[in-house]
Amino acid sequence: MMLEARNITINYGSRAAVADVSLTAEPKDVIAIIGPNGAGKSTLLRALNGSVPLASGEVMLDDRAINSYSRRAVAQRIAVVAQEAELRFPVTVTEFVLGGRFAWSNAWGWETERDVEIVRTTLRETELDGFADRLMNELSGGERQRAVLARALATEAKILLLDEPTANLDLAHQAMMLRLVRERCDRSETAAVVVTHDINLAAEFATRVMLLKNSRLIAVGSPRDVLTVDLLKEIFGLQVLVDAHPISGAPRVTPIHTQR
Amino acid sequence: MISGSARTTLMRTASICGLLLLTLVVVIVIAAVIGSQRLPFGSSLCALSGKSNCGLSSEEHAILFDLRLPRILLAGAVGVCLATAGAGYQALLRNPLAEPYLLGVSNGAAVGTMIALVFFGAAEWSRPVMAFAGALIASFIVYQLARGRAGATPERLILAGVIVTTFLSSAIVFITTLMDATRIRSFTFWLLGDLSGTTTSLLTITFIAVLIGVIVLAANARSLNLMMLGERDAFDLGVEVSRVRVIVFIAASLLVGASVASSGSVGYVGLVVPHLVRLSFGSDNRLVIVASALGGAVFVIFADTIARTIIAPRELPVGAITALIGAPLFIYLLRRG
Repeated sequence: MMLEARNITINYGSRAAVADVSLTAEPKDVIAIIGPNGAGKSTLLRALNGSVPLASGEVMLDDRAINSYSRRAVAQRIAVVAQEAELRFPVTVTEFVLGGRFAWSNAWGWETERDVEIVRTTLRETELDGFADRLMNELSGGERQRAVLARALATEAKILLLDEPTANLDLAHQAMMLRLVRERCDRSETAAVVVTHDINLAAEFATRVMLLKNSRLIAVGSPRDVLTVDLLKEIFGLQVLVDAHPISGAPRVTPIHTQR
Repeated sequence: MISGSARTTLMRTASICGLLLLTLVVVIVIAAVIGSQRLPFGSSLCALSGKSNCGLSSEEHAILFDLRLPRILLAGAVGVCLATAGAGYQALLRNPLAEPYLLGVSNGAAVGTMIALVFFGAAEWSRPVMAFAGALIASFIVYQLARGRAGATPERLILAGVIVTTFLSSAIVFITTLMDATRIRSFTFWLLGDLSGTTTSLLTITFIAVLIGVIVLAANARSLNLMMLGERDAFDLGVEVSRVRVIVFIAASLLVGASVASSGSVGYVGLVVPHLVRLSFGSDNRLVIVASALGGAVFVIFADTIARTIIAPRELPVGAITALIGAPLFIYLLRRG
């Protein structure tokens, strides 16, 4: 499965939210999109599953325009982990995660034993197995965020789009979230595109990093090539120190807060 | 481990609905026997089961089959219509307070019915058709009014409903002035929900609407499960959101139109019943829609039995009884947030 954005431009009114950006995600890729607030990261991510109209360019899924697929067919291939869902009705964690199996449902709309088995597995993977019959609105923000990941994993999609998946998570669960995504990519020929503000997590887990600023792609490449003092200064307007992580060797970025 | 309470299965849905169906049959029999003239229970049961020579006098037989049973069946159909439509609107609008009466949809159907009465009075079929059109137009207007930049909040939706309701109320008053004085009283009664004007063709039309509406909503129940948690997520998970939205609006308007055309605006059924169902059995719409249909029938038959017996031989409009039960529940739900 290959996802490709070719020179896409997205307009919000007269302003370009994404301007002429290209991207290719192939199995085992973990692509991190990094940039300041308002750079167009989330919009770009949303365009990758065909939910935002393009002003120009095209998004291709296995060399076919994404809009030529039904929503169901797209959902079988691409899963999204977005910011928290709104919960005005009491649903259990199991019901919520079973939502990930919707695209595979039969005409009668009842889950099969296999659907339930997949949900059981993803609940275990996201360390939510004790929460199966708890209500979603009784969980903490971080637990809910893991349920959203569990639902995305339950789709068995070969492409994962994640929008700040670690925002509500503690240190241990941040690592768990990205380890799970990385494992899924390595083991089952999956690709992931992650929008994140956590540069150091991106450096550890991403195979490629894209730097965005003012709707444009500034640089793309391996974390080592892209997470440099000069490029980060250009993107964020901030002096940083880049050294190597003592254990993993990945680039480690520390802002330098100069005294006034 | 995923236990039984974690999700709703087909087995669970079937057994709950089976129990509700049984309750419905019992309620129908009891409602048929009691009234301003009490009928002998054993003989009535015997006659209802289709046997002859049960020992009912011809007068009692006529009361049972020509007066009570059609009215009970209509009450049941109206209950199914309103409760199912309520469950549909709630999931679609992501709002547990959405209800045909409070959204102004019932008033839309009432205006349609009155226009049909004034302009095509002779043609009985025109009433449900115009009621359906009125309900559809009102629901789309409320939906458009309620959609803000940040999506429709529960409060915004209820406000939009109030605006549409009051606007349509003045339209109703305006149309009423076009009618002659003798018909006004029966109209006022009808507006509050009145099940006494049953005809065979209205009953048939209502039953057809019930069948179509409930099947269509139930068929979209799993999509609604996702849509009630957010349209964007539902879209990402493979729901054709805009198609489902149109289908659900049409099906729910069909149900409301049929019920209003045959019995006026009975309020709060669509609020009370789905709420109790969700409270007892969870939020899965595959269960909520069918269980609300059966529960709605039970609720309106029960309310109508009170309406026609409490000050017998005089009658109250059934809408007065449902509002008496529903309004306090609405306040409770609103306060709980």
